[in-house]
Amino acid sequence: MREELRRKAGEAWAFRTRVEREAARRFARLAAAIAAFDADSPVPALLRQAAEDERRHAVLCADLSAVYGQPVDAGAEDAAIVPRSLGPRAAVLYEVVASCCITETESVATLTTLLAEQVEPRVERVLREIARDEVGHGRIGWAHLARESSISDVSFLSPWIPAMLAGTVDEGLFAAAGADLESRELLRHGVLPHSLKRSIFVDTLEGVVFPGLEKFGISSLPARQWLSNPAARTRLG
Amino acid sequence: MLFKKLFQVLVVGGAVMGATSGCSTPAGSRQTTLSKGEGGGEGVASDAGTARTAQGSDGGVAPDAGGGGVMGW
Repeated sequence: MREELRRKAGEAWAFRTRVEREAARRFARLAAAIAAFDADSPVPALLRQAAEDERRHAVLCADLSAVYGQPVDAGAEDAAIVPRSLGPRAAVLYEVVASCCITETESVATLTTLLAEQVEPRVERVLREIARDEVGHGRIGWAHLARESSISDVSFLSPWIPAMLAGTVDEGLFAAAGADLESRELLRHGVLPHSLKRSIFVDTLEGVVFPGLEKFGISSLPARQWLSNPAARTRLG
Repeated sequence: MLFKKLFQVLVVGGAVMGATSGCSTPAGSRQTTLSKGEGGGEGVASDAGTARTAQGSDGGVAPDAGGGGVMGW
């Protein structure tokens, strides 16, 4: 394996380690928040389990990161993403939609795509274990959105979806990448080549996330404009 | 085909899961907490998207007016 490829794979798994740790903290916090206003909801228990899953995923990702020569430190962030203008319950909904309906849904599509490829056995075992859980994590978001939309108008989220999307990916995803990032060899190590990553991101939005939001009364028009307009993406990125 | 299946499994499956334990609880302040006005209404996203890397310890609320998103795989 070429050193540059090994480094790219290691960086990807190190990044995923941080993503999983952050998700663990976020899910634990959201579980407590939702339980405080929706005692009958199955979502808090599912989020607590998801937080445990994410901690386990982080260990798996960190192990692979080390295998590829990119050990990660023990740090984890709980990045603040909610607009200050939202009240507590709307803020929770914002965060659940951003983290589960968008990010976890995208993760499931990424994992499904990777698992359809020839992958190193060690990497495949990790991908399969994580994929099993991520489906559930994506569902949690849609479950909470369904519950909230059943008793209230959630369309206020529509103009916020572009900000959520801008925070989900680097703007560099929409630019051309060098040959190293486009190497199909990356797939064997559980990493999507750049242009495939972009197409999976866009297709998942158009085929799953946008129709899902529309199903619950959230217009996807601002998000579609964000997706098709580089200037808008730059402004929010 | 993949995306149709994902829609069924995640969106439709999630909605069914959310409905399994009774309806969401409409708290007394429900209408205000999720109202459009509180949510920001039209044009709220014009200053959004700046909080992606912002840090805070107050329940995920960004220190500035904008919203952000969650990085994934």
